[in-house]
Formats: sequence, C-alpha cells, structure tokens
Amino acid sequence: MPLLDKYSAPLTAKAAEHLLRRTMFGASRTDITALTGKTIDQALDTLLKDQPAPPPPTIPGQSTTWIGNTSRSQAEGEYNNHTKAWWISRMANESLSITEKMTVFWHNHFVSTFGAVNDTRYLYKQHQTLRRNVLGNFKTFVREITIDPAMLVYLNGNRNVAGAPQENYARELQELFTIGKGPEISQGNYTTYTEDDVKAAARVLTGWIDVNDTVTSRFRPALHDNKNKQFSAAYQNTIITGRTGTTEADGLAEIDDMLTMIFKQNATSEYIVSKFYRFFVNSNITPAITNEFIKPLAKIFRDSGYEIKPVLRALFGSIHFFDEKIVGCMIKTPLDLIVGAFRSTKSPMYTIPVPTTLQTLLNEYNTFWYGSSNTGGVLQTLAVLQQDIFGLPNVAGWQAYYQEPLFYQTWINTATMPLRGKFTDYFVKGWRLSRDTVFMPFDSVKFLESLPTPRFATADIVVENFTEHFYAIDLTDDQKDYLVHTILMSNPKSSSVWTDNRYIWSEEWNAYLLTPLDPIKKNTVKARLDALLIYMMKIAEYQIM
Amino acid sequence: MERRDFIRGATAVTLPLALSGYSAKAMGLSPLLESLAVASAAADRYLVLIQLAGGNDGINTVIPLDQMSEYNRIRSNIALPENRVLKLTNATGLHPSMVGMKSLFDAGNLAVIQGVAYPNSNFSHFRSTDIWMSGADFNEYLGTGWAGRYLDSQFPNYPVGYPSREMPDPLAIQISATPSLTLKGTSTPMGVNVQDPAAFLRLVQGSAVDGFDTAPNTDAGKQIAYIRQIQGQSETYASVIKSAYDKAKNLATYTPMNVNPLADQLAIVARLIAGGLKTRVYLVTLGGFDTHAQQVSMADRTLGTHATLLARLSEGIASFQQDLKLNRVDNKVVGMTFSEFGRRPGSNVSSGTDHGTSAPVFVFGSAIKGGVLNGNPSLTNLNGGNLQMQTDFRQIYASILKQWFATDSTEYKAILGKDYNTLPLISTASTSVNDTQTVMNATTLQLQNYPNPVSSTTTIEYVLPASSNVRLTIFDGLGGVITSLEEQQASGTHRVAFNAESLAAGTYLYRLQTERGVASGKMIVAR
Repeated sequence: MPLLDKYSAPLTAKAAEHLLRRTMFGASRTDITALTGKTIDQALDTLLKDQPAPPPPTIPGQSTTWIGNTSRSQAEGEYNNHTKAWWISRMANESLSITEKMTVFWHNHFVSTFGAVNDTRYLYKQHQTLRRNVLGNFKTFVREITIDPAMLVYLNGNRNVAGAPQENYARELQELFTIGKGPEISQGNYTTYTEDDVKAAARVLTGWIDVNDTVTSRFRPALHDNKNKQFSAAYQNTIITGRTGTTEADGLAEIDDMLTMIFKQNATSEYIVSKFYRFFVNSNITPAITNEFIKPLAKIFRDSGYEIKPVLRALFGSIHFFDEKIVGCMIKTPLDLIVGAFRSTKSPMYTIPVPTTLQTLLNEYNTFWYGSSNTGGVLQTLAVLQQDIFGLPNVAGWQAYYQEPLFYQTWINTATMPLRGKFTDYFVKGWRLSRDTVFMPFDSVKFLESLPTPRFATADIVVENFTEHFYAIDLTDDQKDYLVHTILMSNPKSSSVWTDNRYIWSEEWNAYLLTPLDPIKKNTVKARLDALLIYMMKIAEYQIM
Repeated sequence: MERRDFIRGATAVTLPLALSGYSAKAMGLSPLLESLAVASAAADRYLVLIQLAGGNDGINTVIPLDQMSEYNRIRSNIALPENRVLKLTNATGLHPSMVGMKSLFDAGNLAVIQGVAYPNSNFSHFRSTDIWMSGADFNEYLGTGWAGRYLDSQFPNYPVGYPSREMPDPLAIQISATPSLTLKGTSTPMGVNVQDPAAFLRLVQGSAVDGFDTAPNTDAGKQIAYIRQIQGQSETYASVIKSAYDKAKNLATYTPMNVNPLADQLAIVARLIAGGLKTRVYLVTLGGFDTHAQQVSMADRTLGTHATLLARLSEGIASFQQDLKLNRVDNKVVGMTFSEFGRRPGSNVSSGTDHGTSAPVFVFGSAIKGGVLNGNPSLTNLNGGNLQMQTDFRQIYASILKQWFATDSTEYKAILGKDYNTLPLISTASTSVNDTQTVMNATTLQLQNYPNPVSSTTTIEYVLPASSNVRLTIFDGLGGVITSLEEQQASGTHRVAFNAESLAAGTYLYRLQTERGVASGKMIVAR
C-alpha cells in the first residue's frame, strides 16, 4: 500500500499516544482519551487548529514588562531566561495543539541565538514571527524571516551592503532555510545552487538594516546594489532585475523575485519535507521513503502554494506515520524528556507570572527554573542536555536532526545519560529549596489513581499500567517481572530463600484506599511507587518515543 | 580483550614452542614479562585534537610578513599593525595575542603548517566540518571519523570485550556532551563524552541499568540497544576517569575557570593524562570563529573578537603544555588544532571575513619538530579570491598516524583511504621503532614469517649457521615488548609458532638476536 495513503481506522489509545508524543510533548491520559476513537482527520482538525497568540512573558513577581523597551537592558540575560521559562511552561500547559512543537521546529529551522544577538527584545520579536507563521504559508514565512531584525543581526544581513556584499545570510538562506545543499559536483557547484548564486543572492539582499529602538527593520536604498543579478544554471540562469526605486517595496520586490526563483525548484519543497520527516517521523530516509513519501508530500506542499497545514495533515494522516516500525524509533529530545515528564503526568510547572510576590514562592520559582546548589533547574538541565532554547549550537540547529549517521543518538552519550536520570529523579522526588526543604514532589499515588486502574490494583496491574502509559513499546514479561519483584516489592528473586511477597502491596494499597487521608498509609504506597517511577524513568525504553 | 585471552596471546610464543623437535624451555609468564606486555599494549602516546569551530581566519592568525603591502591592501579594515605581530621567522608572525604559542615556537615545541585545506573547498560550515572530521574527499560522504577509524583498527570489535586488561580506559574522551564525528568508528562512537570528571561518577552512581539485553530488531530496538550501551559505558568508565582525575593535579596555572572554555577543557585533559589514563585521543572544542563582522576592535585592531579567541587558544595551549611538562608526561602528548576552513584573504566591509579555503594548522608538543612548514600562502596568486591549498589536511593525519601512532603505510592507508606524503612533524628521537630499522645479517639468518599478513597463527622461521644462545622478541608497533624467548639452540632451521589471534590489528616487529648477529622482520596482523 502506498505509504502516503490515509490512515483510516479510528484511533486506538496507542495510536493516539503515538500521535500526541510526536506532535506535542508527552501524552497525558486526558489527551489520549480525548483523541481515542476519533478519526485521524478529526484529531488533526484539533491539533492543526490556529491558536491565539499567547500573552507575552512578564517579570516574575512584578507587574512590569520589558516588551516595548526602546533599548537593550542590562538585565537582558535575565529576560532571556524568563522568556525561556515562559515558552517551556506553554509547552507543558497548552491544550491539544501542535503549535508549540511546531514552533520548536521553526526555532530549529530559522535559528537565531541569544548568544549572538544578545537582545531579548529581538529574539522575542522573532519568536512572535515564528508563532504568527507557525502553520501558515512557508514562502511568506521565509520572506518575513529574511528581514527579521534578529535574523539581520544573527547572520549579519544588516552589514550586507552594495560594493562589499556579506554572504552569511545569502548562503544559509539557500543551504539551510530553503533549497538545501546537494552534492558538490564541481568546485563551488552544490547541484542545487553554486557559490556564484551565494554571491548573487547576497547582492539581492543588500540594504536591509535593523532599527534598534523599535526592533524593526528598514530598507536603505543607498546601501542596496540596484544592478541586475545573474544566477546560475541551477536556477535556469535567472536574472533578478535590479530595482532602482527607493521604497521598501522596491527592496522587497527583488527579494520576492528571488524567493519565487528558489521556490520554483522542486528541491526546495523536497528539502523542507525531509526536515519535517526527520523532526516528526524518523531519521532514516531510505530511497523508498524518498520516492514514496517525501516526494509525493513535497508535491502536496508545492501544489498548495507552500501552505504548511496540508502537508502536515497528509504526513500525520498517513499509514506510514502509524506504522509500528515508526512507533518508538525516535529518541526523546531533552524537551520531550523534561516537558514530557510534566505533561504526561499532568504535573503543573511553575509558570509566569508567578501569581504572588511572596519571597518563598519566588525562591521556588527561581530554583525550579534556574537551579541552586541543591537542585538542578529546568533551564540548566535543558542546557546541559544540549537543547538550550534560544541558544542553539549554530545556524544548522541541533545536530540530532542532521548529523549523519548518529542523528537522534547525538542526544545520548556518557555525559548526558546520567544527567537525564538526575532530572527524572528530581521530577519524582521534588526540587530542593535547601538541603531539607523539598517542594513540588510528584504525587505518584494520585497519578496511579488517574490511570485506568481498577480500584483494588495488584502489583502486576500497577506495573502493567505504568508500562502502558510511559513507554512507546511494550516491555518483555521478564522486564515486568523484574519491575514487580525487584523494584516495586524490593524483593529480588536472586535471594536464596525467595518467597513471593506481592500480597504485601495489595494489603498496603487496600489500607490506603480505606483511609486515604492517613499520611502513613499513603506514604507507604507512595514510597514503593516512587521507587518504581524513578527506575522506570531511567531505563532505555523511557528514552524513546 | 579478556585477561585470559591476553595471556594466551602473550604466551603463545613460549609455551607451544617446539623448536625443530627440541623441546623448548618452558617459560612461564614472569611478572616482568607480564608487565612489559601490559605496558606495550597500552601504547603510551596520546593525541589531543582542538577544534576551532566556525572557520578560523588564518591570515590574521599567522601573518605573512613578507607580503605586508598586499596584506594591508586587501584587508585594510582589519589588518594588524606589523610592529605588533609576534615574529616567528623573518617572513612569518603570529597574532599579537598569541604570546604563549610564540614561546612554544621558540622552544621548538610548535609546528605551524601553512595552507591546509583539501581540493575543491566546500564553503558550508557543516559539510566542511564533516570533511575535516571524516577525512573524506570533497565529493565523498563518510559516516566515520578519521580518529574513530584509527581506534577501530587498534581496538577491533570495540565496545565488545572492553574495557580489557590491555585497554582498561576509554579509547577516546571528548570534553563535551555532543559527540563528534571525528571519533565515530564503523559501528559505534569510539569515545566517551565527559563534561565534569569530578561529578561524573557521582552522577552515574544510582543510574539504573537493568541488565536486560533483548531488544526488538526494529529502529526502536536499535535505539534501545544503543542507549543501554551508553549507560553501560557510563558505569564502566566513570570510576577509572574519576580515579585518574583525582590522582593528578594541574601543576600549571590556567585562566580562571569559566573565562576560557578551551583552558577549562584542556585542564581536565591534562589531569586525566597525568593521572595515567591510557586514552589515546582527546577532543576539545573552542567555538566562535565565524567572524563575518567586526572581528577586530575599531579602537585597537589587535583587540576584538578574533584576538580574544586566539588569546584563549594560545593561553590554553601554553598552560596545557606547561602542565604536561610539570607532570612529566609532555613526551607522551601531541596536540593539533583544526578548523573547517580558513577565511577569505580580502576582508568584507563589515570588518569581517567570509568563508574561505586554507588556513594554518598548529601541531604542538615536546616530541614535535618545531618550525614553519610549507611557507606563507600567496596573497596575490589566488583562486577565485581564495587562497591556494598548500597542504592537504590528510597529510597531517597521515604524519600523526605514521610518526606518532606508528601505524605503517598499509594501516594508515586503510584509515585514510589512500597514501599521503607525510610531513616531518615528530622529531625522530621520539620514534622508538620505525620502518627503517637496520637489519643486520638478515640474509644469513634467513629470518621470515609466514603467513604474513597473519590473522591467527604464523610461523617464524630462521636458520642458525651455528649453535647459539638466541633471543627472539616480538614488539608492537611502538617498540613495546609483547613477549620474548631466550634459550640455547642448535644450528639448523628453527620454527616458532606464534598465535596472534588476540593481538590488535597492526604492525608488529620481531627481532632475533644471536651470538653471530641480529635480524628483524615485520609481521602484519590483519583482521
């Protein structure tokens, strides 16, 4: 059956989970229930629906905001952190929608970093551009990004002037943002474009500068090269007519002509769809995938005039996306790991604005996000796990999406693996304000009760339920047996006089159900469940999705 | 390799020795022989690779003092004042901020190799980085790194059977949490990633590894198997890394922590080496070299972004070298810088430089033959506004593989895909065994081994013209003794069976010392 055929069966809980893990961050029971039994079209109607722009980030505990400041502040670093926390808590708390994950996709596609731009106002402005176009029209999107103030700074477009063009943006526009680089077939000829095309494109792009006080961009005709620009045979020897007019429309006209030329090439749609594929489906693009999936999707993309929704609808609605070979083939990004832990268990994140000026709560907020000597914060963890948002490694984005042959395995190495475990430990045990003050511990008992758990759940049912909920693929019977006896019951079968003690769990659980307000009863079962979760969130199966 | 396999390998030459019908004097594995064998197996030579990410501006790093008028003309907005350049030779100087590396040069511990690139430069950061890391041609796509392939050749089957008695430590260590293609072997990354050796063990303790090793044969199953392998390596290597780190101290002064990221990484590497890790290859990275705009300060061109980066490089390397010396391990370490490309000789209007072609590479260490190699690039004989290539980057890899890691031409050709002219980088004094070792009386003794190359067992054969006390010794490629046999033998043909099954692929030498003369031969272990 062609890979792009519509997935026609109503979504099972497992299929809904798969769709949710790939389009959002983790799957909660509520979200899974909402999509189970729906057709894929109904599910995608919900996930692809346009969302209103979110309220902007604020400064915790204060009513002021830095949005609209006319100059860079000394506190930019702090604002940058607030913006990261603001975005991550949106990922954790949003309703059913692909919006946040798709925004991450574009953030990784049209890269600008705080390290290089060094002004949160600029990055927030670009972030708004990402959100405005997140499910819109890709060609319009590229046009807006080309003159986006943060991008003009990040890739030096603001220094690209007639007479001495600056090639930085012109190169990445082609290599990374639109058409993609093919094999180098001769010196300076990358199949899809050439070094001369980089130079010609740089000339088209001359004359745009950023305006700092308003965080906007402006066309300076005096700095623009208004002669004709000749492109190579890769672009059918197109000549972009130099505009001598002095309005912004004149500057944009040349950019539009060039984008039309780039978007006329099939390579552009194929390159972007390949990036969708590696971000949402699998890193392994075989010739069959190229011919039977990427190329037909690219055609849908072109035929729609580069609208983003139709191509995503066809991708997520395909039988290939739901193929069991695809389920679990990705490694969770640090965002999937961190945000997914909260989202999949419906645990709240500290959100901005912190609704109080109480110092204790502000301390908790700061500790939760930024960490302290006792605890690793979420932002810190994200950075050490190599997925610092607004701090991507370079203009190509995160290596996991392009660096052959490791791809997603890039996230996993001896430096990051122990830190992943450290994060999930904090998640279950809680964050530490001081050595002895824990806040936001995970309520594993309440969580167990939120699963489709029979009232008198046995030890085996507990393990079965957690396995079902947390893992993309099933565990073996041996593994489940190990979880039941060695972890939940702390009764490893290796001991010489082993006797089954699972009945103890049932007794403890039933005792808790009879007097749920008795803290001793609750803590007895919670200690067992915490140990189980701490273990289950560390093993390899937890890292895939 | 398991201990028992190793012992089998080491004793094969002595115990089964049936010397033309004479029973051999059975030689047990003496503690001395054992220690010799271990020492030789853990070849005591280390390589530190320093990646300068972003494309370093070579012309403002190593300044062509013999072309200053052209230099000032084509990069008028970023040209360094001639009188501030640190002179290495009459023709060549270093950026004013590279004081530490200038001292290294003066001490003969720094080689500056000019004009390093590859034919048909690619101006993409990412593709060109891949080319440098993999050692590929411009139109060749390799999924392995050059250092990864070297380690693959020395430690076959890794990670299966590792850590082993002969290699108890990580094969390679990268001070970063993003693995590099440089260290990627055929089937797996050959290195481990470490950010903070002090915290590593603490973090790893309490990590869960369930001991399950079944995974479905799907993409998901492959990911699971990979993650388990990494979890296992974290557990395995955390304690050896921590103990090496704790055993040694930084004896030199580095830039204070968190100011110079390269110095921070090199300080860790120095402690690990001084602490006795047998790790062959280290990789550290300094980023920020993509200086399209304002690479110099307007007020003082010897300052600014590029100056800061080069100061970090120079200070980091100088402190590192000093540290190695004070720790008395400097003879074991060679360092090398690399960047995906140089930058264009002509500057752009934003006081920066765009992507270019060739750039200098620095190789440093006490074992290095210092100097400037291959002369300055020409600023007038350009190729499309870019510098001409003078040195293929793989010539440097080949030189290091051959002169430092003592691989022979067969081996390094297998690693690099073809032969490259080497450069005189390592001073010959540090090469203990080389291809040109004098062979005396080989004809007389008719020393040979067959089959050669050998995959399992080989026979070493020789003819003694008269009875003699003989000593037959087998060395690894670096001259370390694998094993030896000494006894009185009668005249005539002698055959010694040698089991090479558990030796790493590579070149080994054997030497026959008799009362009448000495002969040696070369045996290649191929897998």
